[in-house]
Amino acid sequence: MSPRPPKTRLLASVQRWRGVVLMSVVVVATLWLAATNQLILYIHPRYVWFTVIMSVIALLFVVGSAFLREPHDHDDPPTRRQNIVSGAAVALSVAIAAGILIVPPATLTSATLESREINGAGLGGDQGQSVTAASTTTDAAFAKFTVLDWSSLLRQSTDLAVFSGKPVDVVGFVSAEPDDPDNMFYVSRFVVTCCAVDAQPVGVPVYSPNWSDDFAVDQWVRVEGGFATNPSRSSGQAIAVLPDTAEVVDQPGEPYLY
Amino acid sequence: MRRSEAGHQHPTIARRTRRRQFVWLAVGLVGIALLFAIRALTADQSVLALPDTAQDFLTLSISVIVESMPFVILGIVLSIAVQVWVPDTWIMRVLPRNPFLRRAAISFIGVFLPVCECGNVPLARGLMVKGFTVSESMTFLLAAPIINPITIITTHQAFGWDDGILVGRILGGFVIANLIGWLFSRHPDQDSLLTDKFAAECRVDAHSHAASRWQESVALFRREASVILPALFIGAVAAGAIQTLVPRSVLVELGSNPLWSILAMMVLAFVISVCSNVDAFFILPFASTFMPGSIVSFLVFGPIIDIKMLALLRTTFTVKTLVQLTTVVALLSALIGLIVNYVA
Repeated sequence: MSPRPPKTRLLASVQRWRGVVLMSVVVVATLWLAATNQLILYIHPRYVWFTVIMSVIALLFVVGSAFLREPHDHDDPPTRRQNIVSGAAVALSVAIAAGILIVPPATLTSATLESREINGAGLGGDQGQSVTAASTTTDAAFAKFTVLDWSSLLRQSTDLAVFSGKPVDVVGFVSAEPDDPDNMFYVSRFVVTCCAVDAQPVGVPVYSPNWSDDFAVDQWVRVEGGFATNPSRSSGQAIAVLPDTAEVVDQPGEPYLY
Repeated sequence: MRRSEAGHQHPTIARRTRRRQFVWLAVGLVGIALLFAIRALTADQSVLALPDTAQDFLTLSISVIVESMPFVILGIVLSIAVQVWVPDTWIMRVLPRNPFLRRAAISFIGVFLPVCECGNVPLARGLMVKGFTVSESMTFLLAAPIINPITIITTHQAFGWDDGILVGRILGGFVIANLIGWLFSRHPDQDSLLTDKFAAECRVDAHSHAASRWQESVALFRREASVILPALFIGAVAAGAIQTLVPRSVLVELGSNPLWSILAMMVLAFVISVCSNVDAFFILPFASTFMPGSIVSFLVFGPIIDIKMLALLRTTFTVKTLVQLTTVVALLSALIGLIVNYVA
């Protein structure tokens, strides 16, 4: 084989090693996320072990492919057109790989919430609570209800008789109620059944005029209070939580609900 | 084909090769350590955080990548097993000769190789290199993500035997895979369905220079990763971008209309691009809103065609083949959905 000009050699080794490098980035980022208990920001906890085991196997192959390099290069030199196409693909892949590697991991924000209807149709009947069961639930149990539990009850009924006198104590991030953003917000969470791709927003409506003086959208809060007829005129929500206390809290270790 | 490297080389050259091997091993290990260090150092740098919409786009794209990556790795590992470690003739010998029975048998290979659709692309490439015809490997590619134990178990966990969803999915996958296999087997020039690059790889045995099976295995890992990963990344980015830009409510509204619900579910399957092994959990929450036939269409269409899958298939098949494949599979999935809606 005649020696190739340096530029072609560089392209050839990019073509040769891009997969291994991209794989290393994803696998390292995945293992690091798993070790710091943040992999659940992207996938449901039931897949964590499988993902970790396959990542370790991939890492062994990465090390192996550095150790057992082939004696000759079998890959055909890429054509000009292939270079342009694969160059674009590699550039995009590298950008995403950089995103995976250096952007701090984050939960989904209210930006996604806005594109997916809150307490919308994409929630199953067996997630959360049922109204019939709620009639026999104790106050202590109600105080432990999550945003998902309350929102599932709200989807089944907005009859105040079901909700009045029940203690509400929920943690979630703030998103503005679209119809009355000045006076109302949702304590919101995302519900995940498979991975962040299918995250469905749920929320408990809270009536609190000028809430934006105290909280920012996407900030995590803990709200305690009770349900009452919604005083807001412009909101479509019949009932809402009137907060006794509302305070800023740290983002919980498991920001999604399952 | 196995040769000892030191056997036909001068001792000093062999020693030099060995030293270079360890240098590269060190490069690999240091590189991995460096990646870990970068990740750990940048984790708390809020300077690097992105604005909300961009951040969510990245989170969704990473979610698709992280979710499919273990299956891609499993697929590559199984592809290596098939190409390097299983004796050449074994697979060919045990399969029936009659083309229809042969494709029917191939539909069930997934039972032993439980990979989802993205892992199946490297595996199907491996089977073609091993001697499968294009139409046979297509049957495998379409059937295996659905007719495999993990998919069947997760679908059963999600839906039980309700409304014929599980049965519809398995039968639907089998019928589509065999119909497509038969259709493409009528094509006079099978090689023309493939990209030039991959067709060339099938014609020559490109791995004969490797010194040992282990070397052959890691070389194959490197090649497949180079082909599959950029495609996966592009697919994930496209899926993430569409989800950030198109409000989910558009699809859900379409879904409550019986006429459009099947189509909406197929569009949803196309857009979200999750793997067949886990998609039953994805669609479970929609079960109360959508008709069972639409759910079946989602579960049959999604494993075969979606954004990520088209990017992956493009590594192997020509655009024309993929357009034909998508059209036929979409029509058949819709038909199966209609049948289930009618029966259930």
